[in-house]
Amino acid sequence: MAAHHPLPRRQLLVAVAAVAVGGAVGTLLRVVALRIDSTRWFVELVGTSGWATHVPWILALINVVGVYFAAAALNGLLLRRGPNDLGRLVIITGFFGGLTSYSSLFVSVGAIWHVSVWGAVFTVLCAVLSGVGAAWLGTRTWSR
Amino acid sequence: MILALVTLAGAVGCVVRYLMEYSVGSRHAELRPWMTVVVNALGSGVAGWAAYRLSASMDADVRSIVLTGFCGGLTTFSSAFAIPIFLAREHRRGLAIALVMSTPLLCAVAFVAGAALSH
Repeated sequence: MAAHHPLPRRQLLVAVAAVAVGGAVGTLLRVVALRIDSTRWFVELVGTSGWATHVPWILALINVVGVYFAAAALNGLLLRRGPNDLGRLVIITGFFGGLTSYSSLFVSVGAIWHVSVWGAVFTVLCAVLSGVGAAWLGTRTWSR
Repeated sequence: MILALVTLAGAVGCVVRYLMEYSVGSRHAELRPWMTVVVNALGSGVAGWAAYRLSASMDADVRSIVLTGFCGGLTTFSSAFAIPIFLAREHRRGLAIALVMSTPLLCAVAFVAGAALSH
């Protein structure tokens, strides 16, 4: 499929449906995983220790795993497929896009900010570094 | 029931993100990764507004639909890193670094702006 050209109307509708299906599955998985109360676990393991209690551990894990598998998929199964390729729309734009979230990270960072400004900055920094690391590891998977 | 609505809102968010990336990418292919940055900032802005406007006690369900569903689907963490790493490998390291660094900065600014507008 041509990488960067306007799609005919029917093909665009199919593309939108592909993104919607992948996005629904990804979102559902994230919502179910986020029902795990990581704050309670953290308090039991480490005790109440200021801002770190507000770190969204489950979301951070979902995000890192999502980056890793998205990069690995783009490097293997979806290698050299354009951004309007149906497989890529379902898996990357839909599923991993719905599974991972940047906005929810900032909702938690906002809560951390009220407790510790440096905690908030540190959390964002760790999220970015973990994302870069996971993406790099993903490109090492299935490489030929 | 609420789970179905949150899921649906997530799918709608993903479609809005795709259409925004598509509308720019089909005309200016080189700007497509920047559209992902813009969508992430937009989603964080809406989340900043909703997080403080919709208090948990007032309406937990609407909060879930807007924040976890729509904003969660609209934004993407996976593409924010998976796409730049391939640009870096294609010797466009400067662009990759600019994308990865600008996203959290713009998301933070948008989140604070959204939160400020909610008061």
